Amino acid sequence: MSDPPVPAGSVHLSEIFAGLDILPFGVLIWSRERQLVYANDRFRRSWDLPVRIGITFEAFIATMAHSRECVLPTDADTWEREQIAAFGAESSADYLFAAGTVLNVTQAPTASGGMTMSFSDVTAVKSNERALQLAKETAEATDEAKSRFLRAANHDLRQPLASLKILIYNCIREEDPEHRSDMLHAMEIATSIMEDLLGALLQIGQLDAGRVEPRITSFQLSQLFERLDVQFRHQAREKGLRLVFVPPHGTIATDRALLERILSNFVANAVRFTEVGGIVVGCRREANGLRIEVVDTGRGIRPEDRERVFDEFFRSEEQRGQKSGLGLGLNIVKRLADLLELPVRLRSEVGRGSIFSVTVPLGNIWHSVANEVEISETVAGEFVGTSVILVEDDDILRETMTQLLRRWGIDVHAAADEAEAIRLIESGVSPRLIVADYNLKARMGVDVVERLRRAVGADVSAMIVTADAEPRVIESIRSAGLPVLVKPVSPPRLRVLMHNLLFEPSLVTVGEPTSAPPRRHMP
Amino acid sequence: MNTLSEPVPIGSMVPLTGPSAADGAEFRKGMILAVEELNARGGLLGRPIKPIFADTCRQTAEEVVGAARWLIEKHKVHAIVNGYNIGPQNSEYEPIADAGIIYVHANTLLQHHDTVMSDPDRYFGCFMADPADYWYGPGFIKFISWLRDSGQWTPHSNRIAIISGSKPYSIVIANAMAKAAADFGWQVAFGPKIVQTPTHHWRDVLEEVRCTNPAVLANTHFYAVDLAHFQRQFRANPMDCIVYLQYGAMHRTFNDIAQEACDGIIVSSVIGLLRDEMGKRFETRYNARFGEGSTATIGCQSYSNMHHYAVAAAMAGGSGPPGDFEQNRKVAFALKGMIYRSVHGTIRYHPDWQAVVPYPVVTHDPSLGMPHIFYQIQDYRKSLSMIAPEPYNTERFIYPPWMSGRTTAVKPATSQNPRGLIGF
Repeated sequence: MSDPPVPAGSVHLSEIFAGLDILPFGVLIWSRERQLVYANDRFRRSWDLPVRIGITFEAFIATMAHSRECVLPTDADTWEREQIAAFGAESSADYLFAAGTVLNVTQAPTASGGMTMSFSDVTAVKSNERALQLAKETAEATDEAKSRFLRAANHDLRQPLASLKILIYNCIREEDPEHRSDMLHAMEIATSIMEDLLGALLQIGQLDAGRVEPRITSFQLSQLFERLDVQFRHQAREKGLRLVFVPPHGTIATDRALLERILSNFVANAVRFTEVGGIVVGCRREANGLRIEVVDTGRGIRPEDRERVFDEFFRSEEQRGQKSGLGLGLNIVKRLADLLELPVRLRSEVGRGSIFSVTVPLGNIWHSVANEVEISETVAGEFVGTSVILVEDDDILRETMTQLLRRWGIDVHAAADEAEAIRLIESGVSPRLIVADYNLKARMGVDVVERLRRAVGADVSAMIVTADAEPRVIESIRSAGLPVLVKPVSPPRLRVLMHNLLFEPSLVTVGEPTSAPPRRHMP
Repeated sequence: MNTLSEPVPIGSMVPLTGPSAADGAEFRKGMILAVEELNARGGLLGRPIKPIFADTCRQTAEEVVGAARWLIEKHKVHAIVNGYNIGPQNSEYEPIADAGIIYVHANTLLQHHDTVMSDPDRYFGCFMADPADYWYGPGFIKFISWLRDSGQWTPHSNRIAIISGSKPYSIVIANAMAKAAADFGWQVAFGPKIVQTPTHHWRDVLEEVRCTNPAVLANTHFYAVDLAHFQRQFRANPMDCIVYLQYGAMHRTFNDIAQEACDGIIVSSVIGLLRDEMGKRFETRYNARFGEGSTATIGCQSYSNMHHYAVAAAMAGGSGPPGDFEQNRKVAFALKGMIYRSVHGTIRYHPDWQAVVPYPVVTHDPSLGMPHIFYQIQDYRKSLSMIAPEPYNTERFIYPPWMSGRTTAVKPATSQNPRGLIGF
């Protein structure tokens, strides 16, 4: 219950006070003498502030100032002085209370020379305002990140695209199959670089959102240099520049894809801003790491620009008006280097060139990721790359045998008959081994081997496979000096015979057992 | 049906005669010790284990396939557990797969991967308890790069020369070395050149190598006697390079023939007894059982394979005779799923390869892979020095005596042996 109101002559005044008690905010009314004459019920129940009818405004303010219950805009004494001086003046202010609530305190003079104060809880309103502000800022940041991403994508994808254009143009005119194949290989790498770039750029978009987590692994720097070489050598050659990668020794530990982005931006800039001379990419040992340097003989950077080159959209005066990129590359470098905690340095002399470097920590060579983790005989088996001509007229057998031999890493050239095999030799196939079926439709395998050997012009190793286990047939093959296996051919036996023919011919006995162990055979 | 007290027959294909008879004798001893230990603790779920040895002589395909058939058909073995047999080229997998029994070996063959993965259902029981020969290649390249990058050795160039013997094992390793070289900054300046082996004559190929002035010379042939001649001929007119010789240079025969010419060479093995407490205790037991002249580092292979198999069979509820595919599939499942720390490191089968995963070239966690150990002969009269990898190494690399202008003093390595292991 509120204190009884100051005596008044009319009964309906009490009704007015009862109405004021249930207002949704606290009310204090002060007399001209600065004494509290009224405090409504809402005020008393909502805020644990020491008020009683008759206290002075000065006492109320002093208690408020030193209660430590709310955050004041200035120190307590100053605030106290200011508030006392402002008695009767119109004002409105928000105060944050220790319990986390925000109170709006509004005061206004009364006609009798006193003052009314209202206390409203605006916690929810303020919280909504803050949430709205945050949402607005996030939306603006996302929008900015999106446009920055698009600018960066445009910038970085131009490098491999430029290489690709040159390669396609050259490839169309190239007649030498070897050069053509080299160029196609380089094109394949350029597209894979573009693919990686898109991935990296997506990461950069996420960088702004703080969502990129570097994946630190140990790896060989040489692998990275090789990729950069493929990416830039065509552009450098087009400009008549020497681009040299000094083969590095060393295992480093950082995020491989992000480091590649850093170095690729260095090299791209070096190629772009160097007109004469060349670019050398190499590294030096430092106390705790490896400093990777990109040295160019370009125009150099003025001292006053050396800090600013890492700013977004920075372009030097000479660059402006030229078709020279958007000035994003080094900003990307800076952000990536910050993320990876890698120091980036720049030394430069105008007219002589620049050295951009990044220092990376050394990794554990034993932990370095090898290129191949999934291994098979196609990677390093004993027959890898061995050229074999297979003559077999049965389509299914030819296909099955081809698959088996390819699984062992053999370069199989399959033919259905002698004529097709001859055509293979004429087209440049140079076999190290001939595997021929005995009963070919028009010819006998033994004769085909002889004919093929003549076509090759050398006594190529050869063997016969036959479904005909007649002793007479076997004998006739052996008398031609050829080893023979009886179908169905056991893969291990075929492997041993092939090995002996290719690598240990002294172990080949034409009369060795031809029968295969039962079951589990190649047809 | 076997009764509970009837022994469990386990076959073992070992070359008790022929050129690998010395290794075969150790494989046999390893099996005997393992079976004695297992039987002393109650055998396989109460049944004693009975080892049956088949001599694989020269280890040709015919001999090994014949041995497998004899064990399966005559002795009805539930599993075949042994060390290695060079030569059968997986042809012994066929009778074993037909019988549906378990086969655990240390053949060190890349083609095991292809054979098993070509038909995992058929070859469910075939396990290779050591890493494939292939891993010697990248493992060696990492090793020399580690010597270089850690400052223990300063090569005069990035050129390496690779000589291979004519066996598939040597060719695969040589190919794998050549393939990994460029990734670590090396240039293959010579080879891989395949020399017809066996041979004692290496001077011609050494002269060819000399023209390329390599910083590293690797010979992947593995016969101890041949390698001893190679090293003697090399030392007669040495080059300024590190010399790596494949597996066979670990044998006593190599030291006996090459003598002081041995000192300085590097040799490695993807399977070898460790010199930690477990390894030492095993060696003590082994020598106590078979005499001081025994070679525990060879015998440990069949020893560990047998123990691992027995634990897996017990987990599976017992072993299965030929034809009991269902029970043996359970044993295979247990073998695949169980990481087993043997006296020569961890046996952990790759789920697809059914071969052991090597450390550190594939897994970087020593608790999950079998260490590829690098040794150096520092004094031919003493034990090999185990110089890599951490945490198993016990000594450090020293400059070979033939290398010019350099002392043989121990160079400080940048990395330490974290477990403080010490040599014998």
